[in-house]
Amino acid sequence: MSEQISALMDEEIAVEDAAHLISSIQSSRQHADAWSQYNLIGDVMRGNQLLSKDFKQNLMYKLDQEPTVLAPKSAKSHAEKVAGFKDKLPAKWSMAASFAAVMAVGWMAMQQVQTGNEVPAVEMAQAEVVEPAIPNEYMAAHQSSAPSASSYYIQSVSYAE
Amino acid sequence: MNHFVLARRFASASLIAALLSSFNVWASEEDSWQVLQKAAVAARALSYKGIFVCQSAKQIKSVEITHFYDGQHEFARNVVLDGAPREVLNQSGNVVIYNPRNGKIVIEKRRAQNMFPAILPTDLSSIKASYSLRSGENERIAGRPAQLLVLEPKDGLRYSYRFWIDTEYGLLLKSVMFNNRNEVLESIGFNQLALMNTVALDWFKPKIDHNKSYVMEQEQELVADSGSPVDWEIKALPAGYRKVDQMMRKVQGKASPVTHVIFSDGLAFVSLFIEHVAKSAKDKPAPKNVLTTTGNTSFYANVNNGHLVTVMGDVPEATVVQIANSVVFKK
Repeated sequence: MSEQISALMDEEIAVEDAAHLISSIQSSRQHADAWSQYNLIGDVMRGNQLLSKDFKQNLMYKLDQEPTVLAPKSAKSHAEKVAGFKDKLPAKWSMAASFAAVMAVGWMAMQQVQTGNEVPAVEMAQAEVVEPAIPNEYMAAHQSSAPSASSYYIQSVSYAE
Repeated sequence: MNHFVLARRFASASLIAALLSSFNVWASEEDSWQVLQKAAVAARALSYKGIFVCQSAKQIKSVEITHFYDGQHEFARNVVLDGAPREVLNQSGNVVIYNPRNGKIVIEKRRAQNMFPAILPTDLSSIKASYSLRSGENERIAGRPAQLLVLEPKDGLRYSYRFWIDTEYGLLLKSVMFNNRNEVLESIGFNQLALMNTVALDWFKPKIDHNKSYVMEQEQELVADSGSPVDWEIKALPAGYRKVDQMMRKVQGKASPVTHVIFSDGLAFVSLFIEHVAKSAKDKPAPKNVLTTTGNTSFYANVNNGHLVTVMGDVPEATVVQIANSVVFKK
């Protein structure tokens, strides 16, 4: 099913033939996630402007700030509007919090796996010398704006966030 | 963009390749600089596909590169073949990294400035000011005939490099960085390479893992300059280094934005961070005069006039110390 959603994005499946896909995207949380992720990837590849990560919070804040009209019907439609937006927003925003929480553990595990790739060479001896480590937060900032040629492929930051 | 236009642009790229292949013999340093200049252009203006091996102090990884130039724009897809299937896509300097992390794919954005084999800037004047160049033997790299060029610093403030340049294509085949004890710090080199004869771009997309979710990096945000008065200035930078960028950024665990200034001598990049030292007692005390080297990266931090000044980069320790000392605070 994911492959078909991908094909629909790439316009390999005509929209007219994709009624079943579109209804499954609307009804299945998993397929809706896939659809929003593929769109995110497509937007990044095309360099389109992405929604800022505060977009949902800002939107909710602005909706809350809107004057409430003291008429029962309007108040109800305001609530509907909020709920409507929640459904339409991509699922990734809600994933962000849990993602950050498990990241530290995941990265420690990943670093251990990666040590298997280390070159058994002179460098190993250096690594055993106990030196004050370079703080990760500076290393990350440095490599993000002034990367070395190997840092695109080899990460020396452990992202213990 | 139709295929005819692409084909024409590819033809012009092939013409550049033909021009590049027309030199074989050189003698003077000036000739060697021209070879290096052409290598800087060839890395961007040729279309090629290959596998290179990237080795730093910590790890070694093989990377598959597909690079295409249509006469106006560069497209490159780099797939890390060992370990996690990280992908680095570069479109005319805009880099998007698909980084598998913890069961998810994190999408990171960068600016490309030194992606192999385009390690050298197309303007070599600042490198010429700080390094000397001599030619070495002809050697065989990745099954290709190559000319060795040795780039040596004129002082102790930067590292030395060896470049192997394809004598036919003019392309940089291998680059090795040495410290002043002649130990290898970083090595990147092709072990197979071929020019590419395609005009299609269907390969220029990441391989999507349908079982993983994709999230944007929780990036260290850049913030607009706060407009607060600048109470410091840079004086007497080490020879050959100049400021190439300056920004305010949020750094993990720091309450207020940090000034980030980047210096370069054309090859090496150094970051300078300036921030106010927190005064409240509950914060852990700022480190005083820390000088350390991890892998290839030298790091120096000291407290100067109520500010924490931090400098780091793939340069000798003397360079990070001199850059930190070049920051002068106004009383």
